[in-house]
Amino acid sequence: MSIELREIDKHFGQYHALQKISLSIQPGELVALLGPSGSGKTSLLRIIAGLETLDEGTILFDQKEVVHLSAKERNIGFVFQHYALFNHMTVFDNVAYGLKVRPKKLRPSKKEIEDKVIELLSLVKLEHFAKRYPSQLSGGQRQRVALARALAVEPKVLLLDEPFGALDAKVRKDLRRWLRKLHNDYHITSIFVTHDQEEALDVADRIVIMNEGRIEQIGSPVEVYENPASPFVYDFLGNVNLFKGRLRKGELINGDFSFKVPGSNLDSEQETVGYVRPHDVAIEKEVRPNTVKATVLHIHPIGATIHIELHRPDTNDYLEAEITKEFFTQLAIEKGDTVYIHPKQLKVFVPEDFSI
Amino acid sequence: MASLTAKKQKAFRLPGFKLSFGFTIFYVSLLILLPLSMILLHSLQLTWGEFWTIISDPRAVASYKLTIGASLVAALINVVFGTIIAWVLVRYTFPLKSLMDGLVDLPFALPTAVAGIALTALYAPNGWIGQFFDFKIAFTPLGIMIALTFIGLPFVVRTVQPVLESFRIEEEEASASLGANRMQTIRHVIFPTLIPAILTGFTLAFARALGEYGSVVFIAGNMPMKTEITPLFIMTKLEQYDYVGATAIASVMLIGSFFFLLTMNIIQWLIQRKYTKRVGA
Repeated sequence: MSIELREIDKHFGQYHALQKISLSIQPGELVALLGPSGSGKTSLLRIIAGLETLDEGTILFDQKEVVHLSAKERNIGFVFQHYALFNHMTVFDNVAYGLKVRPKKLRPSKKEIEDKVIELLSLVKLEHFAKRYPSQLSGGQRQRVALARALAVEPKVLLLDEPFGALDAKVRKDLRRWLRKLHNDYHITSIFVTHDQEEALDVADRIVIMNEGRIEQIGSPVEVYENPASPFVYDFLGNVNLFKGRLRKGELINGDFSFKVPGSNLDSEQETVGYVRPHDVAIEKEVRPNTVKATVLHIHPIGATIHIELHRPDTNDYLEAEITKEFFTQLAIEKGDTVYIHPKQLKVFVPEDFSI
Repeated sequence: MASLTAKKQKAFRLPGFKLSFGFTIFYVSLLILLPLSMILLHSLQLTWGEFWTIISDPRAVASYKLTIGASLVAALINVVFGTIIAWVLVRYTFPLKSLMDGLVDLPFALPTAVAGIALTALYAPNGWIGQFFDFKIAFTPLGIMIALTFIGLPFVVRTVQPVLESFRIEEEEASASLGANRMQTIRHVIFPTLIPAILTGFTLAFARALGEYGSVVFIAGNMPMKTEITPLFIMTKLEQYDYVGATAIASVMLIGSFFFLLTMNIIQWLIQRKYTKRVGA
């Protein structure tokens, strides 16, 4: 089912939580709403689900307006961060709930319900847990029950509110893969909310990056990572080093260092910031033209990559670099060493109102 | 053996167990067990035959029936309306809400005799409310039920309220998103989680009503065989210096209450166990 949001506006008291959000989602897409807390992503998901009202705007499911429909009538599956399982019901009854509460005419027979529940429980690999209560399951198992419960009503849309947020790193990764696979098999239009960029980049077909009630960028994981539309997106999608300086004749001048910025050939001079990912910081032991001096503060080996904290004496800035273990061994640097760095790639966002 | 020592160590890991446990035993014995055992000891002066004659006296039996019956009805009424009041206090905001919240506790604080007099004045045949009914309310079992309902209300409200407050709204939303209507959500999702609290509230209200004296004596009329509750019957025996007879009846109340509380606790325990039992752990 396709979903279309048109100019959705929402206030919570004085707080403008969502500002004219428009978004269209293709049938069978898996979309991530990514943003920091308070960006409005959960509110937007709840509005799509019908669990929250909107002040203005339209929601269309398959070109049909659903704003006036309640959550019960929208035929959605909703998965909550903290599972929201019914603790007084067994796993079986939890999954069967959506079918059992149907009006008599639409309710499947007892046998059909049972078959369906067993099928879903084997899908989430919990068929042996049917008689247990939620309190007897681990977090990952509970979230899988919640997913099976949401899928039982055969929803047209699956909405997941930080579904893996309460789980530990290993389980989170497993469930992420599993969700991806489930989506590949069933092609149910899905939207999930997350504040974890890695999760969004890993799972989603498309990412919607939100900040302060607005959409900052929409695009595929590669697009948003490679071509961030704003400093916010750049900053949010990964660690970043800032090179504050002046942009003059297509060059960013930053302390003792300057860098040619492709595509900017403005004559005017202005203050700006260059953004550099840690893995785009090149480190050398010998001084070369167009490099700048820095001191190694700390070395953190994290698996196959080495994170290096650097300090630039000329601007008194702190930087972070990431290099491979191999290169680190070749380089043979130690804490306290002086090295020479330069950015391999640098992105400059020219503010639109620069002419003032 | 190893697991036994491990268990023992675990129990004593935090200091102060011996002291606090010893104090608890001493305090409970002094405050509860000692006075109660005096009642049974007093009754032991009687032979079985005499004891049986006193406790199976038709006037005594009529008083048991009335006390238990009226207490049960009052506790059930409180379960229904106390739960509704708790719901309204937790779920809605309205002007003077905290005043309303405070009013619920008043039956706790009010001297029960004052409550009894006030209720009698209202429900007497010529009282503000009593005059509108062509049957008597005060001086009948109906009046007793009203008094017992009055004093039992806070117990249900105050036990259900915190459970409702801690109820996660997400479960209701999950229920709605799965296609359940409001009534189904209340029946299948909210109500079952309230049952333990409601049972506790019921137990407390019922137990309180069983022992209630002050508010009932004024409104009951106290006619033997008709509107005489057991606590009053015991009081009457005491006034006639029939201490042994009074303690015999009291011991019936005591044992009855004990078994009632025991049953309710077992039911509670069974419910708790059902939702939290761990297979193989």
